[in-house]
Amino acid sequence: MNRRKFLKASGILLSGTACAPGLPILTGCSSTRADRERVLSKYKWGMVINLEKCRLDCDACMVACRKENNVALHGDKRWDIHWIRKVNVRQKDSPDAAWKPVPLLCNHCEEPPCAQVCPVQATYKRDDGIVIVDHHRCIGCRYCVIACPYNARYFNYKENPDWPNKEYPKRSHGVAESCNFCAHLLDQGKKPACVEACDKINANALCHGDLNDPDSEISRLISSNPVKRLREDLGTEPKVYYIGL
Amino acid sequence: MSIKGVWATHRNAVIVTVSTLIILFPIAYSAASSILIQTPDPFLELPDEKYRECVRDTEYMRFHHMDLLKEIREEFVRYGNRGEVALDSCRGCHTSRRRFCDQCHNSVSLSLDCFGCHYYPEPDGAS
Repeated sequence: MNRRKFLKASGILLSGTACAPGLPILTGCSSTRADRERVLSKYKWGMVINLEKCRLDCDACMVACRKENNVALHGDKRWDIHWIRKVNVRQKDSPDAAWKPVPLLCNHCEEPPCAQVCPVQATYKRDDGIVIVDHHRCIGCRYCVIACPYNARYFNYKENPDWPNKEYPKRSHGVAESCNFCAHLLDQGKKPACVEACDKINANALCHGDLNDPDSEISRLISSNPVKRLREDLGTEPKVYYIGL
Repeated sequence: MSIKGVWATHRNAVIVTVSTLIILFPIAYSAASSILIQTPDPFLELPDEKYRECVRDTEYMRFHHMDLLKEIREEFVRYGNRGEVALDSCRGCHTSRRRFCDQCHNSVSLSLDCFGCHYYPEPDGAS
């Protein structure tokens, strides 16, 4: 063996030993991480909110969301957390115009400012377009709360005393959170809790689906109706569309 | 010789002795307490006979369960990949957190915050 061959062989051996600890522990997994990423990136989840169908004194979506995701309600607006909330708006210049209820939630932007400012990559955009928080990583710096132009993000100033859905974890004191389109339900092939609740009372104001699929109900609604998104001028490319705003 | 006299003649020696005693006290204390105070070994409640097979072998789980849990967590939280095991599948066999997880963690003074957010039921009703 000459010097060149020896160096080559030792290089291969060294790189092999360096890579070995990086191999995933979950060798028994049916699919690799790369496969799963492809599965997720097949979808692009979005939501259409039809304000003509949304009822003025209805909070079914908010209640369902709280119940499913253990969202804290302390009874004090300084600490209350809303993954979806409703505000009533009307035309400023005509005082007798009717109030219009507008549900507001995380817009799951294509260019999420919250994820861009997160110093620890706790907030990130999943391959299916959902902006989600890894609460294990969150250090509670609240940059995302300030960066979000939609005020959709909230901070846990206090521990949540209620735990209605034991199957889903709650968030500890000191982390930021926001709507995640019920990612755990989507992964099981179900619909988000708010959409489910809205369909249950036959309001059907919320429609959730895959924006990549041109035949889905959501794509049909977007192409056949004049839709608006909130603060399109900011270039955040929200994925929540409003009909009749 | 009075105390004042000792202080006057052996001042440096006294300072060195006292400070050495103060410095060595924690080491001596922990050494003595580990010999004198017998702490009981943690008692782990084993699951039912029919659930004796864990997801990995006992040796691996004993030393690396946290690595496995971290790997699962990363896989699920960041990639949406729910593998064959999860933290909530532990509770299928190890029904009591107090009689299993907490036993070792408490004996080495390790406080975890897994269960502040993740539910782990107690068979007797307490969470």
